[in-house]
Order: sequence, then structure tokens, then C-alpha cells
Amino acid sequence: MNPYLAVAALLLMVTVMLMLPLVPALVELFRKSDALPLKVVQENAGEIRHFANGFRDYIKRLEPTLQRCVADGTAATGSLPDGEEYVVLGRADEPLVAALQQRDATHPVMMAAGIDLIVPPSGTFSRDIYAGGQFIGGEQNNYRAILGEINVHLGASSRVMRWVHAVGEFSADLGCRLYGRISSDSLIRLNGECSFLRMNAPRIEIGSMATNSDTPPSIYPASKDPAPSKRFLHDGDFDVQAGEVIGGNVVIRGNLHIRSGARICGSVKSTQDMVLEDGVSVEGSLISARKMLVGPNCMVHGPIVAERELRIATGARCGTLEHPTTVSAPRIEVEEGVLVFGTLWAREDGQVVARQ
Amino acid sequence: MIYVLYSIVLVICVYTGRHYFFTLNRLFGFQRHPYIDIDTADWPPVTVLVAAHNEEKVVANILDALMTVKYPEDKMLVIPVNDRSTDRTREIIDKFVEAFPGRIQPFHRVGGKGGKAAALKDAMELVSTEVILIFDADYIPGAGLIKQLVAPFFDLEVGGVMGRVVPLNAGTNLLTRLLDLERSGGYQVDQQARMNLRLVPQHGGTVAGVRLSALREIGGWNDNSLTEDTDLTYRLLLNGWKTVYQNRSECYEEVPEVWRVRIKQIMRWAKGHNQAMVTYGLHLLLGKHRATLRERIDGTLLLGVYAMAPITLVGWALALGVFYQGIAPLHGVIALLSLTAYAALGNLAAFFEIAAAARLDGTSNRIALLPFLILGFAVSIFSVSRAAFSQVSDLVTGAEFHWDKTERFRKVL
Repeated sequence: MNPYLAVAALLLMVTVMLMLPLVPALVELFRKSDALPLKVVQENAGEIRHFANGFRDYIKRLEPTLQRCVADGTAATGSLPDGEEYVVLGRADEPLVAALQQRDATHPVMMAAGIDLIVPPSGTFSRDIYAGGQFIGGEQNNYRAILGEINVHLGASSRVMRWVHAVGEFSADLGCRLYGRISSDSLIRLNGECSFLRMNAPRIEIGSMATNSDTPPSIYPASKDPAPSKRFLHDGDFDVQAGEVIGGNVVIRGNLHIRSGARICGSVKSTQDMVLEDGVSVEGSLISARKMLVGPNCMVHGPIVAERELRIATGARCGTLEHPTTVSAPRIEVEEGVLVFGTLWAREDGQVVARQ
Repeated sequence: MIYVLYSIVLVICVYTGRHYFFTLNRLFGFQRHPYIDIDTADWPPVTVLVAAHNEEKVVANILDALMTVKYPEDKMLVIPVNDRSTDRTREIIDKFVEAFPGRIQPFHRVGGKGGKAAALKDAMELVSTEVILIFDADYIPGAGLIKQLVAPFFDLEVGGVMGRVVPLNAGTNLLTRLLDLERSGGYQVDQQARMNLRLVPQHGGTVAGVRLSALREIGGWNDNSLTEDTDLTYRLLLNGWKTVYQNRSECYEEVPEVWRVRIKQIMRWAKGHNQAMVTYGLHLLLGKHRATLRERIDGTLLLGVYAMAPITLVGWALALGVFYQGIAPLHGVIALLSLTAYAALGNLAAFFEIAAAARLDGTSNRIALLPFLILGFAVSIFSVSRAAFSQVSDLVTGAEFHWDKTERFRKVL
């Protein structure tokens, strides 16, 4: 073989081998198959009612059919332009609903009712449900999503996979599993042993309430600006004594224990565990970088955030009707008798537990 | 000479390990997003400062976006900080002031010291709220962004907040695509890992917030700093305040579309960062203050990132010198040198970070461009080194830094 040719062949081969990893890069550079900007959510603000609002818009095209069925007291079936099959109910028709329940596994359809909708127990609805009237679900039902224009009530041990929105009150009986977003424009009421992830309503009642007071009398009025006053910063564990009043913000780089009846006229942060004993009141926020226990009859005005776990004991009040707030942690246990105004959000697991 | 080289090898190994550690944390560790779920609250009054110097191409976009965000109108005041603009910036801002009475209060600055920090410092006379958000004029905030950036301030330990920056003009050309990947690695992995590990997330000076009382406590904006964001990060840290990073608080920005602009930008960043390193480095590592040990170590390493470019260049030169001098290092050190060659020739650990970020972002084919990052890296290493050497020579000659505004590429509305 000609030595020049051999050298040229070697150079060519080396060049090809060096360029080989660049081939996909060159292809992508010129084809631009993945060159759009990363998707950033611009329009919605993580609003809990996002899916419910979308479904309401989607179902608007059924409004004439709904009105006609309600006026005639009849039912209608059909398909929307996207191929989604529906059943419209203009009268109470429990046998029809039961039949839809039975055939859901093989032939699921979206259900829209212009009147009150009463659902028999032990069934599955794997398509969204719209209720123009009251929605009353039987026990042990499985739902994908429900939009109720008045009240929505779920029977014991029911499950919701995606979302529920009630314009009126939402209530869930014993042992319901609420995996998605639950919202109401007036009230959410959860009974014992329910589990939840994300809920929002002006008022969220966990279990039966001892009192119906919306604004606890001892809570301080909301300040105009968060933490305008100076903060008290302490390195190491710290105890706030029983009945002590602290007129400012508290940041503890350690464990924090606030004893019975203490009052903090500001916000509180602990970089480790935080325990609030009976009857503590906090005007601002409560933030713990680990676990938090909010004791019985505590009152907290601002957001409550625990980075690991949170337990809220019976009689505690979070936020007020005038100043709703957020209670958030990966895992939350809420005892019966707790009242939250605003959002209760467990990223991984939220449980209603019995009073201790 | 060989011992200097050993030291450089050691430092590069530390940075390599750091990149891998951050990436693995991001892929497999516990992810901290403590404030992102705060969606309902008694939202505090907030002032949004929009830094604008000759921004006629972009300023209308951000003001438009800010007027539609979901934040109580009566609690949000937008202050466009028009810093000595000579184009139509003032006219555009004034039109918005007219269209949205009471919601925008312009600050037209006609003289004074150059630079963003100086402009923000002067604009503080209009600020009275405890929470301040800062955007550069080329950013486009989404509807929920203001609440997301305000939420961490319910934590009294938080002095500064930083959101994620996403290039809007990512697909324009090779440079923008490379910058898109770099930004992805920097925010999705590097910043979030530091947040996860309670280290030192860096304040970026835009898509960001600062607490007024914290700012006052540390002496306000430092208009002598070339990068007011880095300066702010360290002064907050040294005074017992935390900066937190919110990876899900994303905002579009415009990245440079030509290499000339990119080089100027990175040189300015390098000079500012090095300035902060000289000012705060020793005190952060060894001084008496409230930063934790892990914050001291990470903060020091973060301060040194732009110094690594000239150090790597020196390392390469020394390695060549050692080779031609015929010095045979110990066998163990040879292995170490091999690792250096691997890590330094393109800082592949950083590429690992970027690849992981692309995966976390759920992107598909853009990762194929990864080999081209060698090009971006080469440009950066020489630009940053040039910045460092010129900074030293400026120090000797007493030359003053000239502020270069980053050129915009959006079409004028």
C-alpha cells in the first residue's frame, strides 16, 4: 500500500472518529428539533380551581342540551366534537346512573346533570362529572373529578383521583381518600380518617367543630407589612415560657418550644423542630425546617410551613376568615376539631386523625 | 513549580467533586421547596423595581406583564428605574404610568454614578415596603411569579430570594442554545442543590427579592460593586440572613445572541465576582459571623468559581513546563494529573451537571448539543482569564471600570 495513502487513510479515520460524537450535535443544531424555550407557566398562577374552571368552560357547549333536558325532564346522550361521549340528565334517574356506574369499566362516559345528582354506592366514574344541582355520592365510590354548582357530598370510603370543586359546601364522610385538589367557594368539611393532599376553601373544618367562631377573639389583628419590627435571633435551642408575651419576630437556630399560653406578636422560625403547647397564639407566620407540632387551641395568623412533618391538635385555628392563610408540609396530621381558613396542602400525605 | 501544580490539581479536584455532588443530590437527594405551596396568605405590600437603562426594545413587555400578574393591585407598586436612558425608555414608561394610574411610579434618573447598583440605591428613596422585588427590563414575569417570590419572606430568616431564569430566545443560534443549556445546569442543578443542602444559593439580582430591613442592616446597595447581586449574597450571609432559591419561580429572559456581547457580559460577571472574593473571601471562611461551617465552605468555593479559569490556564502551562523539564511526578500524582486533564479540559463535571439538568427539565434533543459546550467553555475560560488579568492590571495602573450594558436583541415594539 502506498504509504501516503495509508497516512491519509489514518488521518481520515481519526478525523471521522473524532467527529462522530459531534454528528448528533450537528444534526440537532441544523434541524432545531428541540430549540423552543423551556415551558414556563405564564398564564395561570397555580390556582387550585384551574382544572375545574377549564372543565366549566369545556362543558359550556352542553348548556343548551342541559336546559332542554331539565325543562323536558328527559335524558340525552351524544358526543362532543373531541369524541368525548356524554350523558345529560334532566331528571333524577337512579337506575340510569347505576347502569352508567356498572358499565364504566368497559364504556365510560362523562355525566352532566342539570338537577340534583344522587349516586348509588360502590361504583366507579372514570370520566368527569358535572352537577348543576346538589351532588350526593354513595359510599365506596371512585371518582375522577366532580364539579358541583351547589354542594358536593361524598359517602364514606369514597375516593377522588383528580379534583373536586364545589361552589357550595364540600363534605366527605369517614375514610374518604382525596388524592387530588379539593376546593370550595364556601366550606370544606372532612370527617375522621379521611386523607387529603391539597384543599382550599374560605373555611376548612376537620371533624366536628367545638365552636363556630370564625375569628378567635384572642388573635391579634393582621399587621400591614410582614415583620417590620426587629427580629430576635438566637443560636441553639430555646424555650418561650408559659404565658410569656414576645413583642416581635423570633428566629431560633435550633429546636424551639413555646409553652402554654405564650403569645408571639410577630413571626416565628425554627431551623429544627418546633413545638407549640396548648393555647399559644402567633400573629405572624410559623416556619420550621423540620417537624412542627401545633398544640391544642393554638391560634396562628400567618402561613404555617414545616419542611418535614406537621401535626395540628384539636381546637387549633389557622388564619381567619378575613385573612386566610396556607398550612403546608410534606406530611400533615390534623386532629378532628381543627379549623383552617384558606389552604391546607400536604405534598405527600395528609391525614385526619382522632383527637388525642 | 511541581508543588504549585499539585495545589492547582487539588483545587480542580475539589470543584470537580463539588459538581458531581450537586448533580447527584439533585438527581437522588431530598428536594427543598418549602415556600412554593404558600398560595393563600395575607400578602404584604411589595415594591417591584425594574432596572432599565436604554431598554426601549423590552421595557414595555415587562411592564405589560407586571400589570397582569395575580397579586393584590393595592399592595403592589412598580417602580421602573430609568437609569439615564437616552432612547425612548422614558417615553414608554410614562405611557404606562398614564395607562395605570397609581400602580406605576417612575424613577427617572438623569445623572449620578453608572451601574445598576447605583441606580437601585438612588431609587430606594421611593421604597417603603418591607419586600422588594427586582427585575431587569428584559424579563417577562408570569402571572403567579410575584406571589411565589414574596412567599419566602414569611420566613424571618430569609433576607433574599432568587428565582429561576429561562432564556426566551433559546433557539436563535448556537450561542443562545449553549447559554440555554448553561442556564439550565446553573439553576436547575447548581442553585437547587445548594438550596437542598442549605448552602449558599446565589442572589442573581433579577427575578429576585430582598427584605428592606435586611438591606438596611447590611448598609444598602453597594454601588462600588460590579455585581451587586453577588455582593448582596455575601453581605446578607455575613449578617445572619439567608438567600433562598425557588426553582419553580421561573421567568423568561433574553440571553446574548452574539459572542461579543456574551464575552463582555461574562467578563463583567467575572470581575464582580472576583471583587467579592477579595472583599469577603477571607472573612467568610475564617471570620466571626453567623454563617454555618457548610455555608463558609460552599460560599468560599462559590466565590472562587471565576478565579478557576486563570488558575486552570496556569495549571495547563505548568503541566507543559513539568513535561518538558522532564520532571517525573510520583505515580499517585500522575493519576491525579490524569484526573486534572480529564476535569480541566472542558470541566466535564460541569457538563455532567448540565446533562442532568436537561433530563430534569424533561427536554429531549437539546442535550445532543452538549459536545459544543467545549466551544462555550473555551470562550469562557479565556474571557474570564482576560478579565482577571485586566482586573489585576487595573489595580496596578489605577484604571477605572467602565460599565457595559448588555445589548438587547428583541425587536422594538
